[in-house]
Amino acid sequence: MNDQTQPTLEQTFISVVEKLTFMFGEQVEPAEIDAGPETWVQSILEFTGDVTGSLAVIVPESLQPEIAANILGLDADGLDTREVLDDALGEVLNVVSGHVIMALAGPGANFQLSPPVNSILSLDARDALLVDENSTAFLLDEEPVLLNLKLSQE
Amino acid sequence: MAFNILLVDDSMTVRKVITKALQLAEVDIGELFEAGHGVEALEVLENEWVDLVFADIMMPVMDGEEFVRKLNESGAIKELPVIIVSSAGSEPRVQRLKELGVRDYIQKPFTPEQIREVVDSVMGVSANE
Repeated sequence: MNDQTQPTLEQTFISVVEKLTFMFGEQVEPAEIDAGPETWVQSILEFTGDVTGSLAVIVPESLQPEIAANILGLDADGLDTREVLDDALGEVLNVVSGHVIMALAGPGANFQLSPPVNSILSLDARDALLVDENSTAFLLDEEPVLLNLKLSQE
Repeated sequence: MAFNILLVDDSMTVRKVITKALQLAEVDIGELFEAGHGVEALEVLENEWVDLVFADIMMPVMDGEEFVRKLNESGAIKELPVIIVSSAGSEPRVQRLKELGVRDYIQKPFTPEQIREVVDSVMGVSANE
C-alpha cells in the first residue's frame, strides 16, 4: 500500500457505511478490539482491472442483524435468516468496494467485482486477521469491524 | 400515473431498499417485478408490461451492461427507460451505458430523494401524479 491507501480506505469506509447503514464508525487500533469467544463472519470479494486484489469485511455474528436492519429499515428482531443477513453484509462489502476502488484508482477506473462470498471464521482465522498487516480495525456503533484489503499491484 | 417497475439486482437487500425508497419517495407504483440478473429481467420483459427499469451492473449470469446491450440491440431501450443503480459506476462505464441508451445513473448508497428526482426526470412527469 502507498501512503494514501490507508487514509483513503478509512475515510471511504466510514463515509459509505454511515450513508448505507446509518451507523457511525471510527478507526481504532486492532489491539483495542476485544474479540472474545464470539463467532465472526467474513464477506470477501475479489476485484480485477486497473487495480487487482481482494477486500473483506469481518464482523461479529451478533452485529449482522443490526447491519441488515439498518439497511432495510426494519426491526432487527425479525431478521434472523442466514440468507438475509449474509446478503446485507455482502451488499455492504459490494458498495464499500466500489467506492474504495474508485477512491484509490480514480473515477475513471476500469474494474470488475466478483460476487461476495460469506463464511463463518474459526477463532484462529479471526485472530490471524486481527493481527494481519492488511487489516484495519473500526468500531461501528461501538461494535468491532475489520476490513482486510489486499492489493496485488499498485 | 402508476408505473410498472422492474428491479434487476442479484441482492435481495438492494431490491428491498429500492422498493422502500420508491415508497418513501411516494412514487406511484403499479406492479413491481424483480429479477436477479439480466436473463431473468429479459424474461420478465417478454411477458409483462414494464414502464421503468432499475438495474445493477455487477450481476451473475448476465450483468447489467450485457442486459442493456440486449435492449439496445432489440431497440427496446428507446421506449423503456433504464436507470442504473450501482456502486461500480466508473465514469467510462457510465458513459458507455449512456451511449447504449441508459437514461440515468444512481450511485449507491442513495436516498429516496435521489430516486424521486431521477424518476421525475426520466419519466418526464411528477412521479406521484
